[in-house]
Amino acid sequence: MASEHSHWPLLADAPADEDLSRCVHCGLCLTACPTYLVTGKEMDSPRGRIYLARSVAEGTLLTTPTVERHWDLCLQCRACETACPSGVPYGRIMEHVRAQVAEAPQSDPVVRRVRRLVLRHIVARPRVLAAAALLPRKLAGLLTRERVAKLKPKPLRRLAGQIPRGQGAPVRPGFELRPAGQERARVALLTGCIMGEVFGEVHRATARVLARRSIAVEAVEGQGCCGALHAHDGDLAYARKLAKKNIAAMESDRFAAVVVNSAGCGAAMKEYDDLLAADPKWAARAAAFSAKVRDFSEYVAELGGEVPSQLETRVTYQDACHLAHAQRITTQPRALLDAITGCQRIETAGADRCCGAAGLYSVNQPAMSGELRQRKAVEIAASGAQIVTTANPGCHMQYLAADAESHLDVEVLHLAELIDRAEAAAETSR
Amino acid sequence: MATRRDLIAALSQAVGNEAVIWRPEDVRAYEYDGTVETRLPHAVVLPETAEQVAAVVAACNLLQVPITPRGAGTGLSGGAVARKRGVVISTARMNRIIQIDPINRLAVVQPGVANLAVSLAAASSGLFYAPDPSSQKACTIGGNVAENAGGPHCLALGVTTNHVLAMEVVTADGTLVRLGSPTPDIGPGYDLRGAFIGSEGTLGIVTEVTLRLLPLPASIVTLLAVFDTIEQASESVSAIIGAGLVPAAIEMMDRVTLQAAEAGLQCGYPPDAGAVLLVEVDGIADIVEEQAGRIRAECLEHGAMEVRIAEDDEERERLWKGRKGAIGALGRIAPNYYILDGVVPRSRLVETMAVVERVSAAYNLPIANVFHAGDGNLHPCVLFDDREPGARQRVLEAGEAIMRACIDAGGTLSGEHGIGYEKQQFMGWLYSDEDMENMERLRPVFGNEGLFNPCKILPGGTGCGEMAHDAAAIRAAGQDAYV
Repeated sequence: MASEHSHWPLLADAPADEDLSRCVHCGLCLTACPTYLVTGKEMDSPRGRIYLARSVAEGTLLTTPTVERHWDLCLQCRACETACPSGVPYGRIMEHVRAQVAEAPQSDPVVRRVRRLVLRHIVARPRVLAAAALLPRKLAGLLTRERVAKLKPKPLRRLAGQIPRGQGAPVRPGFELRPAGQERARVALLTGCIMGEVFGEVHRATARVLARRSIAVEAVEGQGCCGALHAHDGDLAYARKLAKKNIAAMESDRFAAVVVNSAGCGAAMKEYDDLLAADPKWAARAAAFSAKVRDFSEYVAELGGEVPSQLETRVTYQDACHLAHAQRITTQPRALLDAITGCQRIETAGADRCCGAAGLYSVNQPAMSGELRQRKAVEIAASGAQIVTTANPGCHMQYLAADAESHLDVEVLHLAELIDRAEAAAETSR
Repeated sequence: MATRRDLIAALSQAVGNEAVIWRPEDVRAYEYDGTVETRLPHAVVLPETAEQVAAVVAACNLLQVPITPRGAGTGLSGGAVARKRGVVISTARMNRIIQIDPINRLAVVQPGVANLAVSLAAASSGLFYAPDPSSQKACTIGGNVAENAGGPHCLALGVTTNHVLAMEVVTADGTLVRLGSPTPDIGPGYDLRGAFIGSEGTLGIVTEVTLRLLPLPASIVTLLAVFDTIEQASESVSAIIGAGLVPAAIEMMDRVTLQAAEAGLQCGYPPDAGAVLLVEVDGIADIVEEQAGRIRAECLEHGAMEVRIAEDDEERERLWKGRKGAIGALGRIAPNYYILDGVVPRSRLVETMAVVERVSAAYNLPIANVFHAGDGNLHPCVLFDDREPGARQRVLEAGEAIMRACIDAGGTLSGEHGIGYEKQQFMGWLYSDEDMENMERLRPVFGNEGLFNPCKILPGGTGCGEMAHDAAAIRAAGQDAYV
């Protein structure tokens, strides 16, 4: 509920007073916040952003372009939630704040409008997105590592470098992979929007890793974009629409779990219950669905059992924020890497700090995104790793960009690709 | 009288445009710290060097504008709240660790470095920085110096003043001076370092600190003793100390706190306990084992239902995570809390805790207790909802009653949070007018003629008396009044 004095323009989706008042401004979130670490400004910290929102909610502050800038600069990485002892649902607050900004923007109304249209009419529409993804996929075929490394100037090299290479054909709904022997269980795989188009190999690797554990993988028809980007942008109405579509498509009892290999999508789907809590027709279905959603690494760890794997390499795992902070999954991916024979895992100091990809953030806030990318590049270079592995498409592309931009000379792989490669290597060596 | 325009121009001159925050909606984020009181500054500056700090202080003195230093704003006595508005100097951008010197076992850091960052940086040399306030992930070394911060492990190792060797400070009149000496012993001459530490940012602003580092203990044992009642836990504390044992830390948490911490942080605390003691011993393995055994025995003898020993580092970290996040976790139970910081002799713990309970009942306000039991440093947290009319006044009265009880028991007003603005009116309980006038004389020595972090620690002072009690009066002064 929003207070009666509130200056929020869209009361139906106003940040809840209970959420805002949970923050006791103790400040423990400050050093977890990537943007605060860069600017040193309280307004660019979680505590500051909440305080501004609370002031608007209490009717003592008007939303101004300046206030919007501080909210816009938020990565929504939710590292502050991990640091917060009070359990402030910061991600939820920020999504509702963004909904308010979108309703009556005081700054950049055209950009905001265009962004919303792109999200609704390109990202969330499989056919339109497939057409849009055609060009980068063609480019990826032409761009070898060596060609990218020679490109100038730097921004062009970075842009070209971040297009995923070697990802093969798209994986779309209808895809299925059955295990060679007896089928132990069947899971639904979210193909997602951008993920399915330009990260086909990640999906295939995911399916192969699961198939080795006797799990059948089915990318069921009728599913679509998870709606995470829409929710982060404050388009909660459309996010709800997409959520319902996915629930209807994948809730069947045939599936033991809904497996997601994109941390941002997984986090959003685990929170469908929250998104649809006020909808009496969908609340129960959403809760049941959310309970079935598993991240790839989480599910593989739950399955247990040992599949031989081998890869002589030095690898650093960089947490995807929505895996580490939204889903609180940090140990499973590391344990899976540690189980690979010959694989030396190097922990870097800022592994769970945001890389600056953050969904559309790299487009919306290129300066801050670039700063965070360069900080990561320094840490990765210092680690001496040969492979950077992560668990989210946005992060994946950000590390590819960092590699091209800073000549890191590292290979960037999704965790599923790396595990698949190591397991395949162990199979052939036997 | 200077206008706000003059002020902003002078500040921009000192630190550059980008490092001056002055928009009304921006300074809003600097009106608070970790306490409940707020006051809107006119401007905030983010200097990066000592010279910039000195230039800001000089400019403010020239324009007769009050100055309030700020670290991370995690303080719990209102030290960073700009009571007379004016300029807040934030050290957020002075966050470099300049040097870790393993041979001389010291660290040279800028004031905006987070407390925990020092220990993390020193760990590879086998060293750590001992004072560990619960907010150590975020609170800054500069703020620690100002408040003479403590922490659970200060029981055996002492507080901030025991670990700061030397400092570079900009005094209240804008002079850059060095205090102390980076040698193991305090250098010759007056110990102005000692006078500066704990001065709550009323004498100047620290711009560089040389810290003592200690070797990491070879062995650590952490025990969690579970009790039905706070009395049993308190008696165990007395018994442990009475037996001549000196644990690294003895922390107590009551039922309310335990439940909040467990809900928020999943640290493995027993949900139905009335109180727990978190006890840590460190040092040489054999001795640690022996001491842990004796502590366990003392706790069991004084009514502990169970004494658990952390199996590994992970479990120890989990137990501590709950303790360190306990205060913030109270946000789950109530929208606001008012945390007190009183000290009583260990022998009077039991009766003082009984007073806290009585105050809680009398004012009809839940009070959570989480504190450094080993040194008798209490932190009753009064839980309330600030939106409820009259609640704040009742909370302040309850707080006053508890502080009075601490003094009556032979204790004092602050263990580690400082006096700030919140307890200055109680200073008269402890000190005579002559005592306080004598303290007051230190301020002009460092060039503070009333503009540097005004209306903190000592009651009275020009224009401060009437602010002491009533938050509404502070607000009424008007948020957009010019300087």
